[in-house]
Amino acid sequence: MTSATSSFTLPSWAGRLPLALITLVLAVPVLTAGLSGLLAGGGETWRHILATELWSTTLTTLGMLALTGGLILAIAIPAAWLVTMYSFPGRAVFEWLLILPLAAPGYVLAIAYYDLLNISGPVQNALRDATGWGARDYWFPDITSLPGLCFVLAVALYPYVYLTARSAFTTTSICAIDAARTLGARPFSVLWRVALPGARPAIVAGLTLALMEAAADYGAAGFLNVRTLTVGLFRAWSSYGDAAAAARMALILLAIALTLQWVEKLQRGGAGVQATSKRWQSLDRPALSPLKGWLAAGFCALVFALGFGVPIIRLLWIAVETGDHGRNFTGALTTSLLLASAGAAVAFIVGITIALTARRRGWLSWMAKVAASGGYAVPGAVLALGGIVALNTLGLNLAGGLALVVLIWIYAARFTAAGAQPMEAALARAPRSMGDAARALGAAPAIRVWKIDLPVALSGALVAALILFVEILKELPATLMLRPANWDTLAVRAFAYASDERLAAAALPCLLITGAGLLPVILLSWRLSKARPGS
Amino acid sequence: MFRSLKLPPILGSLVCSALMLAACSGPSAPQQQGGNVPENNGFLNIYSARHYDSDQEIYDAFEERTGIRVRARESGAAQLLETMKAEGDASPADVILASDAGTLWRFEDAGLTQEVHSQVLDAAIPPHLRDPDGHWFGLAKRYRTIVYDKSAVDPSEVDEFMDLATDRFDDNICARSSSNIYNLSLMSEIIERYGSEAAADWAEGVVGNFAIDPAGGDTDQIRAVAAGACQVALANHYYWVRLATSGASSDREAADATALSFASAGDGAHVNVTAGAVAAHAPNREHAVAFLEFLASPEGQAMLVSQTKEYPVVAGVPLPEGLMKIPEDLKQSDLSLDVLGRNQVEAQQIYDRAGWP
Repeated sequence: MTSATSSFTLPSWAGRLPLALITLVLAVPVLTAGLSGLLAGGGETWRHILATELWSTTLTTLGMLALTGGLILAIAIPAAWLVTMYSFPGRAVFEWLLILPLAAPGYVLAIAYYDLLNISGPVQNALRDATGWGARDYWFPDITSLPGLCFVLAVALYPYVYLTARSAFTTTSICAIDAARTLGARPFSVLWRVALPGARPAIVAGLTLALMEAAADYGAAGFLNVRTLTVGLFRAWSSYGDAAAAARMALILLAIALTLQWVEKLQRGGAGVQATSKRWQSLDRPALSPLKGWLAAGFCALVFALGFGVPIIRLLWIAVETGDHGRNFTGALTTSLLLASAGAAVAFIVGITIALTARRRGWLSWMAKVAASGGYAVPGAVLALGGIVALNTLGLNLAGGLALVVLIWIYAARFTAAGAQPMEAALARAPRSMGDAARALGAAPAIRVWKIDLPVALSGALVAALILFVEILKELPATLMLRPANWDTLAVRAFAYASDERLAAAALPCLLITGAGLLPVILLSWRLSKARPGS
Repeated sequence: MFRSLKLPPILGSLVCSALMLAACSGPSAPQQQGGNVPENNGFLNIYSARHYDSDQEIYDAFEERTGIRVRARESGAAQLLETMKAEGDASPADVILASDAGTLWRFEDAGLTQEVHSQVLDAAIPPHLRDPDGHWFGLAKRYRTIVYDKSAVDPSEVDEFMDLATDRFDDNICARSSSNIYNLSLMSEIIERYGSEAAADWAEGVVGNFAIDPAGGDTDQIRAVAAGACQVALANHYYWVRLATSGASSDREAADATALSFASAGDGAHVNVTAGAVAAHAPNREHAVAFLEFLASPEGQAMLVSQTKEYPVVAGVPLPEGLMKIPEDLKQSDLSLDVLGRNQVEAQQIYDRAGWP
């Protein structure tokens, strides 16, 4: 970052003004929520929370993050490594199948797995029928537990790391890998000593996003009744009616997010992740032995089944079995697509601005990034609360069309981090020598941004836009709070049925969310599988 | 390598959608329903913390009768409250609906409801099921019951909630999370009837008797009893009724294996209501009162409970299909329901201290 700062200088007002505005827009919901938490959140509810559950929920959250993170790495890195580096049966299919869980919201997976695995669910029923055991005669893993939640979150969120790891493995200098292979390094050693160090910044960036998402999750944790900070926050709000105390709990989430962000920045160091070689050619994928090949295929199949196949088939099954379909969903589908498109467009523009300035603008750029991360780690409901507090302060009321504007604003504040990341990663991997060459050729700074940085950032743009679209499609709490009358989304309908314990009726909107997200995700997979430079 | 200078098509479509969205300013027009919609006689904005498909049918019926167009916003109760506070006196809300009396007490406490004096409502709804000052009106009744395994438990063992704290049910209770509003309301009545200390003892006793950690909803607790994981569970009556009338045979089997006890929470069966109120700044106050009166009419009552399987509050309205009659000699609590709201915070505190997740 330091060397780039000296080599690139835009006129200061031109570069800083949009960025300052963006920082403000992103930070306002988090800050107003945080401030109202600090100023008004210290009452009786807070003292009770402090005395009874603050430490345990914080520890639960940290434990959840550690275990979920570990599971995500254990799933995503081998999967990404196998499909990038080796030939085995089904490799080309798995390469994109493994991204599909991105389309299924965590709360949908939680509903499906709970239904499947709880004591009166089909799995345990079948077990009892087969063995003649009673309900208390055997031990069975409990999905409504911390490990259960971590499992659900890991299979829902691993695509973040799978995506970043895969693209990092793909673009890591082939020279280094070839050299290591030529020198006789064993495959594991190539992964451990060459590829992982090169891909580490990208992997950690993906993991950071996944963990911030996990920290802010309410749907899955609430459904599985694991007392994370976010669940405690919603309890403070709904049981105690104390929104300010809830906002104060959100400050801890914010601190966790900033720590994650700081660690991510720290481990990236000054070195950058740029490719050291421009020799981006296709890599030979050695074929695995038949046994190893089938093991690799089995592993990929298992990951896909757990993250997508099993829960989605279960939902289809419930929807068909009981015939309880709820009402027509076309209106909700249209609303979902419209809001997700609009939110994604705004967040995309904000995200690309951050990405383009990430290496250039010093502290202001970092502030923008921190503001985006803060929003990403805080539940949507808290941001929505911050948004309406801010509106009130301005003397405005949340009514009519303004509610839509606020909703789109909150989407941007919540998800920009997820959109900026792939574009930043694309920029970070491009050799800095190109910028230097342009400078040597006398290109003006603005031209360099337009002609070099923007195209590079856009190579990560499809991923960014699709992630934003899918994330907003899945968003529930902010939509629930801010949408105007008659603007129900699919997620809102699914929530309504699930909270009325009509899982069968909830299954259909859940499937539609997944289906609507699936198309972009397939597009994304297709695009990525063709993205191998040189091939 | 920088070939993707052109915006990918998806981005173009995203921008188009954003523009489309910007073009349609303000909330969309209410969905046109089939049939004869009379000419527009104005609007009614409903803020609802209920989530039933049948509610849409009620709105449609009201539109058809009156020509008043209904716009509904459904959300979680706590979030709806913050939204309304934020909207202040510009709030478009006319009617607030919630599936719990305690929730409406919160709206009243925040100054978001107004007094309504309607002879129709006062005549139709029993006094203990509505606010004395007319801030809210109970419209449908529900009972929190003890569901028990017919093969293992005698009905006499579960005729009071206090029974659940005894050693008889050690390792035999299933219940959902304590932050669920139905459990909070039950505890609120127990606090009122027995006092805080006894209520805390009860919570500790019940927690000590849990067979499995609380999770899932009421329906899951009933299924767990049927599967033999525990002998008794807490559940609202209508979840059991829905299982008994479900299209899936496994659901009906779960209901067959279990039975309901309309247990006493100190002085009769624990009652809660779906309730409605007129918003403090209702722009269409008359429409709001008309809507509540419609809900208290025989037609509105029948529609309100047809899918939810709650009990009508108005005498003489036939029960929805599949719902059993309440035993005639059943003593029902006549607790003033604003207590459920007043005691809610203490209820959660007691549960928290007892370690009920």
